[in-house]
Amino acid sequence: MLKSTYKPSGNVPPPLPPGWTEHKAPTGHTYYYNEETKESTYTRPGAQAPPPPPAPSDPHASFFQYSTIPQLSDPAAANAFLAQYDPARQRQADSFTHHGRGGHRGFDDRRDRPRPQPIDKPKSKVAIPGCEPWILVYTKYGRRFAYNPAKNASYWRIPEKVMKGVLELDINSIKEKAGARMGDSSKAEEPDSQSKDDAVQDGKTKEQEQEQELGSDYEEVEVTDDEDEEREDGDGGDDDEHPSKRQRTEEPTDDMPVEFNEDDIAYQLQAMGEEYGLDPGEYDDGNPEAWPEGAEGLPFSEEDARETFKDLLNDHGINPYSPWEKLIEDGRIIEDPRYTVLGTMKARRDVWEEWSRARIQVLKEQRAREEKKDPKIPYLALLQQKASPKLYWPEFRRKYKKEPAMRDTSLSDRDREKWYREHIARLRLPPDQLKKDLAALLREIPPRELHNQSLLENLPSRLLADLRYISLDPKVRDPLIEAYVRTLGPPPEAGEAAEGEETEAARKAREARRKREKALEERERAVAEEKRRQRRQIEHGRAALREEEREIERAMQVGKKGLQSQLLAEREKRRQEEGGALEEELGDGKDK
Amino acid sequence: MPAIRTHASRQKKPPAGFDDISDDLEIFAIKMKDAQNTPTNNVPKHQAQWPIFQIAHQRSRYVYELYYEKEAISRQLYEWLLKNGYADAMLIAKWKKQGYEKLCCLRCIQTKETNFQSTCICRVPKAQLKDEQDVQCVSCGCRGCASSD
Repeated sequence: MLKSTYKPSGNVPPPLPPGWTEHKAPTGHTYYYNEETKESTYTRPGAQAPPPPPAPSDPHASFFQYSTIPQLSDPAAANAFLAQYDPARQRQADSFTHHGRGGHRGFDDRRDRPRPQPIDKPKSKVAIPGCEPWILVYTKYGRRFAYNPAKNASYWRIPEKVMKGVLELDINSIKEKAGARMGDSSKAEEPDSQSKDDAVQDGKTKEQEQEQELGSDYEEVEVTDDEDEEREDGDGGDDDEHPSKRQRTEEPTDDMPVEFNEDDIAYQLQAMGEEYGLDPGEYDDGNPEAWPEGAEGLPFSEEDARETFKDLLNDHGINPYSPWEKLIEDGRIIEDPRYTVLGTMKARRDVWEEWSRARIQVLKEQRAREEKKDPKIPYLALLQQKASPKLYWPEFRRKYKKEPAMRDTSLSDRDREKWYREHIARLRLPPDQLKKDLAALLREIPPRELHNQSLLENLPSRLLADLRYISLDPKVRDPLIEAYVRTLGPPPEAGEAAEGEETEAARKAREARRKREKALEERERAVAEEKRRQRRQIEHGRAALREEEREIERAMQVGKKGLQSQLLAEREKRRQEEGGALEEELGDGKDK
Repeated sequence: MPAIRTHASRQKKPPAGFDDISDDLEIFAIKMKDAQNTPTNNVPKHQAQWPIFQIAHQRSRYVYELYYEKEAISRQLYEWLLKNGYADAMLIAKWKKQGYEKLCCLRCIQTKETNFQSTCICRVPKAQLKDEQDVQCVSCGCRGCASSD
């Protein structure tokens, strides 16, 4: 659809209630005026209006939304978000869910985060060695950000050029602490990944303890937009800041590990589909073979689309002679849902061309058939209504020059004048004479045109285009004609058959159209389902992406030892596994 | 003494079928009149006549399509329209030639009026233009009228 994707952002004031208009006073103040009540005010009347409905959840919107999230470079916004980040709680939750690093931490513990959001404040600052203007600022909640007083810029995400200095700083502080109280890590500054690698060598228990304390400092800062996203996904419902941003329908459960694989999603979809009362074909559970019969719906072919578009053109009463540009500028057809059955403007234009050509041909044929209908008939009808012996021809012409019958180009003025004069002359004749003339005229008309089934509204043009027909007043004339028609015999047979054929053709056309409309409905449903599937895929992809990002992050936390530490970790893991296997074996032995 | 040619004698009444298209032609006439009457004070000099050219092109195209593509009007009416200035016969004559099917205006193929004896930039196919530039020709504001576009 050609609908604007523009969505008003949050800081735009709510729309004015109907009737109110916004104006600027000469002083520059904005004021509001209500035309109905003649009331004007400086305060915006829309304030009491109900808030706009939450944004519709379509995949594109959610995309835009996510692409705009990292406003965390703005400390104020980041503060608001991170202030809910309670270190104590985090520690507690981590100790429950921490089996090895990474994984899916942070999904569930954030759900029960306290609602009140105290404001985080900077507490202490340290100059970063090697990058002179930069300062590392620690906040009340133990978070930190890099601050450049020269540019007055601060970043939660520590910039890469400063990163080296920060690392150095951390290493120093850890060394200091290690010197001060060896092994005591319960109250320590969070160690970075490098110190952890050292700790691996020290002992397993200590490492675990350290890890339970908190994720590394870098992680806490660097993960922020990722976390932000998760947070919104996971618990968009319970924070007040972004009530309209909830996109996900799957709420992660509290006690389960929140890994979403295909099965889970498929299961949820099925559940949702059942909830909404959809057929399996409508939400596409992945195995079309298992659908019940007929779930796929009627096919909607290209030909049907073209025909539907032609129906649209017919229904809107488009003038086939008008240029295409005018049709588009008018924009009436664009509102119609059938406008989108054709995907491209070129296709639409092609169909329109085809339609207009055919339509013009039809009109021409119709006109050729109607050509028998004399242009004289409307003119004579006008004469019967308006002409009177009191008006001379020039007066009559001037008075009624706006009438379409008078403007018709196919009649010449000379003829018009002649008929007018004749008509006026005949009006002076005695009524008996006029009646006789009418009877003579009726007798002249062959039985094919005038018979006992012909109606007053549908008299032959030969009769209508005669001056003798209009010279009598309709009140006198119509009963006469009716009486005469009743005395006539039935019409010859030939006409009947043709009429029957015509109705048959019309019926067929109607039926075809009904079929097309049904197919269109089916297609719309199919499109909706496709959209739903795409949204699901996007969500799934996003989950996979987050997972990958997390993996990459984990992989990135290789310290200075580089490959060696990786290998060590690997060895450690293997040893653990072996130990586990040994224990199992032991357990087995005991059982035996 | 030669016969005095009155207004009426010069204006023959239009052939049948004119009623169908007279509304659209009137719309074009109104548009043209508006374009002629808009002040061009703050418009660059070379752009002042662009709307005139564009409307003339649209109207000619309308008549051309009615007669040659849709076959909606009779030959008499078509000729009457040409004679009465509703369409540009010279432009339509070009449209019938291969390679000129979409020509925007006659000035754009007038090679003698240019410095290097070449046609206008709008005659260059989009595919041959370097790096997707958005051109508008000087004479009529055309954005490209090559047949392959």
